[in-house]
Amino acid sequence: MLNLPRWQTIVIIAITVLSGLFALPNMLPTGVLDVLPQWYSQNRINLGLDLRGGAHFLLEADLRSVLTERLTNLSDSVRADLRKQQVGIKDVTVEPGRALIVTLRDEAQRTKAIDAIRALDPSLAVSGSGDTIRLAYSDQELFRRKKEVIDQSIEILRRRVDETGTLEPTIVRQGDERILLQVPGIKDTTDLKRKINQTAKLTFHLVNEDVAAAGANIPATLPPNTFLVPTREGMQDLRRTNPKAWADIQAANPRMSPEQICRRYQPQCLPVLKRVVVGGEDLDDAKATFEQQQGGRPIISFTFNSAGGRAFCAATRANVGKRLAIQLDGEIISAPVVQSAICGGSGIITGTFTTQQTQEQALLLRSGALPATLTIIQESTVGADLGADAIRAGTVAALVGTALVAIVMFVAYGPVFGGFANLAMLVNLLMVFAGMSILGASLTLPGMAGLVLTVGMAVDSNVLIYERVREEKALGRSAFSSIATGYERAMSAIIDANLTTLIAAVLLFGFGSGPIRGFATTLSLGLLTSMFSSTIFTRMLLSVWVRWRRPTELVI
Amino acid sequence: MWKPVHLFAFKRKFDFLGWRKAALILSTLINVVSILAVIFVGLNFGIDFKGGIALQVRAKQGVAQLDALRATMGGLGVGEVSLQEFGEASTVLIRVQRQEGNAQCVAGAQRVMQKRAGSGWQVRPGPAGTGDVEFTAPTALDGAGWRDAVSRAGLTIVERQLPRGTTGTAKIDMSPEQRAEWCQQVAIKLVEDAIGANYEIRGTESVGPKIGDELMVSGIWAVLATMAAIVIYVWFRYEWQFGVGALIAMLHDVITTLGIFVLLQLDFSLTALAAVLTIAGYSINDTVVIFDRVRENMRRYKKLGLIDLLNLSLNETLSRTLMTSGTVFVAVLALVLFGGPVLYSFSVGMLWGVIVGTYSSVWIACAALVYLNLRPDQLRPADEEAAKAKA
Repeated sequence: MLNLPRWQTIVIIAITVLSGLFALPNMLPTGVLDVLPQWYSQNRINLGLDLRGGAHFLLEADLRSVLTERLTNLSDSVRADLRKQQVGIKDVTVEPGRALIVTLRDEAQRTKAIDAIRALDPSLAVSGSGDTIRLAYSDQELFRRKKEVIDQSIEILRRRVDETGTLEPTIVRQGDERILLQVPGIKDTTDLKRKINQTAKLTFHLVNEDVAAAGANIPATLPPNTFLVPTREGMQDLRRTNPKAWADIQAANPRMSPEQICRRYQPQCLPVLKRVVVGGEDLDDAKATFEQQQGGRPIISFTFNSAGGRAFCAATRANVGKRLAIQLDGEIISAPVVQSAICGGSGIITGTFTTQQTQEQALLLRSGALPATLTIIQESTVGADLGADAIRAGTVAALVGTALVAIVMFVAYGPVFGGFANLAMLVNLLMVFAGMSILGASLTLPGMAGLVLTVGMAVDSNVLIYERVREEKALGRSAFSSIATGYERAMSAIIDANLTTLIAAVLLFGFGSGPIRGFATTLSLGLLTSMFSSTIFTRMLLSVWVRWRRPTELVI
Repeated sequence: MWKPVHLFAFKRKFDFLGWRKAALILSTLINVVSILAVIFVGLNFGIDFKGGIALQVRAKQGVAQLDALRATMGGLGVGEVSLQEFGEASTVLIRVQRQEGNAQCVAGAQRVMQKRAGSGWQVRPGPAGTGDVEFTAPTALDGAGWRDAVSRAGLTIVERQLPRGTTGTAKIDMSPEQRAEWCQQVAIKLVEDAIGANYEIRGTESVGPKIGDELMVSGIWAVLATMAAIVIYVWFRYEWQFGVGALIAMLHDVITTLGIFVLLQLDFSLTALAAVLTIAGYSINDTVVIFDRVRENMRRYKKLGLIDLLNLSLNETLSRTLMTSGTVFVAVLALVLFGGPVLYSFSVGMLWGVIVGTYSSVWIACAALVYLNLRPDQLRPADEEAAKAKA
């Protein structure tokens, strides 16, 4: 047991040294770090927001509306498709956020209808009986779609919040429909919130000039390829002249479609073709600039990617003299007349903008549309000096705690055994730091508490071993045999004791968020690494020591 | 060099289980008191669970005048406000109840605007049923001007909410939920204005009502899941009696820890919950080490009666138990003394957990084995063979 093969000793030393190397960048002063190569010095533990100062938001995505919108879109295609297949429909209704219910005129056409719908979207689960067909997303599909929306939102938030790439925000998914956004170092959150609130969904549509020719008297039924969208001016006039209507539109849940708004409140609207010429996702870049002529109004210039550029080129070439409507968040912000084919892959948006507005719109266009509205449900800001205080408190507690434990161990087990246990404790701390650097985990104030707790708990393994060694020694065993048996017999208790605490720590990690996760991280890492440092590492030290000193009697 | 001091080298003949009846009475008593306290007095939930606003403010010079601050806060019209010293005499934690977004908040917003943007400002609520708010400026403003002005009252408006052109009044359309969200910011600004120039705000936090309920539910689940997982582990490794003993000891520790939180009126926040979970894990740590020895001795001394056997095992492991509790105790003590106000309730809870965890391993977990009538012949044969093979 105590005669370790040389390769084992080498592996143990190598692990210890590597841990030290990984932990080292966290302890060096910045002056030294600047000299070292970046790939090495970069390898440091992130400080959590509570230690660093900054703003923290918990955002909730309105997934219900997203799904309802998708189902509404689907209901249009279902209606059209069934009509094409000559299936008589009585009614198609949307069950918000969940399902679509089709009521047939004739029960006999049920299978035909189901086949047609299946062809449209195979991911729908079909249920219901008689003349009603209920189409719902399966739980799996729902989960996949929700995940997709959240992932996309995170990507877009990252681009919006950290356009310059210097803020180092943390943006992670939290549970099913939430996003955690942390931006270190900022105190004023006004700008940030505005970027979160805007959804910015941009599409280009051709204006249906045949219908538009009718002027204000838009016919009650439009061609199926056309729908109505209010213009921005129209909406703003509506808001001035009919505040009640405006309020109703804002409060409506689910949100009204542009067409519904046009029909019900009749603001200035434009009939546009449903087909999207180019979408915001094909935009490569958007910039706020000024017009060359006409007094230099603020405008937004944009560039398409190659696919978008081709589509835009083809559409403008075929429609010279017609208007191209630019729809942003359900409003037409402008509908300039196409003067000539635009094939350079870029264009401009004009409108009644201020400079600040063009800048903001350009940013939003660049970062793409948020697929869902995000609501702030938790928010906090931590001043930098508050964070500094927390670091100080945590560090003092950690140092005092470690020193006290070290003193107890020295007193109880003497310079040799106590010293080895304390050395193991330091190695354990190094390993936790190394582990956190490698995992890229954040150190929070509760995380520091976890570290202190680990220090107290990690020596437990050594206590178990040493107490056992004392017992074996009292039974009359030789020095060598007492140590060897002590290690062997203490092992099962060590594993049980560590694993049970580890269960609590791991479950805490799964359940907790933010700072609590920091606590669970340091505690679980500390317990895991202590199994190495307190047993394997100290056993190596003791085996070397025993062979060197060859003690006849153990002083323990 | 010095010699090791055998810190806990008593004569190892203490009759632990002779005291089991007294321990049973004591434990029943403190558990009943704890449960009653939790039910009738209630935990002092922090804003993590309750929702609301918390602000940490510090006096720029000298000590914070708690009474004066309390009087000021009472007249703000933001509902229930509580103040407590936080760590140092200069620092105060101000907790404000969650704001509802009613007319009172709009009136508060007007005071904020008048203070921060000029005395001519007026703020009025829009039609009932909506969350609209109507702002009247002393002079006409353009879009950007409006955006800048209302942001002084903590209101963030997006493009579509901006008034058109240059105007002196603007109705900002909001849903009732959006207004309620904004009202949290209004309350923060009101507090900021009220505390005056002698104090600075060091950090703010605002938590919606939904999160608290969810945290509560998932917190209870986490505690239950942890206990279940540990019991299953112990049951798997030992016999069912050990699992039951461990479970009772864990419940004992968790319940009395909650009792301590009520008794000392410590803030029950997320970190406090972390303490409860850690205590569940730590409580079992001691227990398992003792159980390990009980099992070993049961195999070795087949003729020994259960009580004697348990006493023997407890005496043998006593110095380890006290040593480990001692090292964890001093580490946690460092946290209590130096860890600062944020960690205070966590640390005090943990400190109690260390003490009660040690107590319960001896007098609850082991006593349970007596009451459950554990007999040596109940040990699994597989274990016996393994033990023989080892020996």
